[in-house]
Amino acid sequence: MSPLKRLVDYLDVRLGVRELVRQNLTGYLVPRRANFFYTLGAVLLALFSLQVVTGILLLIYYRPDAANAFASVQYIMNEVPYGWLIRYVHVVGSNIIVIALLLHMLSVLFMGSYKKPRELTWLTGFILFNLSLALCLTGYLLPWSQLSFWATTVATDAAGAVPVVGEMAVQFLRGGAMVGEATLGRFFALHVMGLPLLLGAVIGLHLFLMRRVGISRPPFGPEYEPPAPLLSFRHEEHPDGIPFFPHYVAKDLAAIFFFLAALAWVVFYAPALFIPPAALEPADPFVTPPHIKPEWYFLWAYQTLKIFPSKVIGLAVQGAFMTLLAVLPFLDIGPERRPAHRPLFVTCYFLGILLMVAISIWGHYS
Amino acid sequence: MVNDSLPPNQRRFFLTIILGGLSTALAVVAGWPLFRFLSPDTGGADVEIVEIPRASVDVGGAHFLTYRGRPVVVLQKSAGEFAAFSAVCTHLGCIVKWVSDPGEFLCPCHAGRFSTDGAVLGGPPPKPLEPIPVVLAGDLLRIG
Repeated sequence: MSPLKRLVDYLDVRLGVRELVRQNLTGYLVPRRANFFYTLGAVLLALFSLQVVTGILLLIYYRPDAANAFASVQYIMNEVPYGWLIRYVHVVGSNIIVIALLLHMLSVLFMGSYKKPRELTWLTGFILFNLSLALCLTGYLLPWSQLSFWATTVATDAAGAVPVVGEMAVQFLRGGAMVGEATLGRFFALHVMGLPLLLGAVIGLHLFLMRRVGISRPPFGPEYEPPAPLLSFRHEEHPDGIPFFPHYVAKDLAAIFFFLAALAWVVFYAPALFIPPAALEPADPFVTPPHIKPEWYFLWAYQTLKIFPSKVIGLAVQGAFMTLLAVLPFLDIGPERRPAHRPLFVTCYFLGILLMVAISIWGHYS
Repeated sequence: MVNDSLPPNQRRFFLTIILGGLSTALAVVAGWPLFRFLSPDTGGADVEIVEIPRASVDVGGAHFLTYRGRPVVVLQKSAGEFAAFSAVCTHLGCIVKWVSDPGEFLCPCHAGRFSTDGAVLGGPPPKPLEPIPVVLAGDLLRIG
């Protein structure tokens, strides 16, 4: 008997691993028509894991205090063997994660997969999106460059527009009147411990909900019919589906390697894409560099604040948009998921995307 | 199709070999930078000789410094007579300290004692302190 079979027998007697594998891998059937967009969850899991690994590696050399942070990042980039590679993978990886998150959310919206009984799955996904953006924001300050310092100054300043408690909120975020040593300490603690723990917990809940409710059938093809109203809990089965392992895992792996290839391409051929010149100078609290802009995924928020005459209105519009997105499954309660049968939603969907892209481009060139 | 004539176990074996080879290649490509990133800093281990001013070691006194990434102690036993040793106790690796009266090295961890020649005077150390070459060149001491 081979050692592998003996090990599996040993575990099977104690934990019933063969049954576990059958239930969750080989006997777990997923929709036959599941497309590329269904792999984005696995892609995100892989990318988040890469961020954890590269983040832990960077922690070995990074020094989280204002006097040494910039120099320690320069040391990682110039002195530590392959330090540049680890840092670039971490920086570019965060941007690729935002792209994958946006594609994941946009595909869920387009296919109406957020609808009953998946409202809570959508809500936890929305929280994950916000936690990821918070991780990006807190990580942005850590290199303590001119770009980090002033982008954080502008970003935290936006909270000051909230009536009554705004000024206090800004001071709480910064740990003082201005961005400084206290801000770095707070953001570092949040970036390496607080937010990742929270993110891990919410990812666990998101996966539990996805597995418990079952994967939604893609709303395409002549055989698709809107389901009958759901009156009690029912796990969505796909008796005509394909096994999760090895068929679907192969699809997941193909998508993961596609994203890793894109990441590698940027790291090796366009490493400066997400690191503008202001990121190469140490932070100077007395000199604001011209034309400081936030990261591309915050440009829409940055420009919205500039469009409206009052910051309060700009912030309220942003808040209203994000709230609408969060509670969409509780407002859009019709059972129809086929895009061709939801012309109003699909029109708003594409106009919304166009508007966000246009505002972001405007913000970039303004 | 010609491929359809192959038995499934042969195709599976071929796939396993291809996937195994690709995985190994990927692991090496990703593993080498990781290994180099985590490789220990040489800490100046390639520096053969360290120079310090003669005046930094008093007569009857000791001066501690780092040589090739390890702590070393230089001693001036009498005017112009210098000796240098590894400051790592040969018992469990603590750093010895110089006790000017009675003029010996003491390891604070388990009370190992060494003479000004590095020899064991008492306590648990199994062997003498490792000697390091030191020469006087004008106003400089060359260690190593």
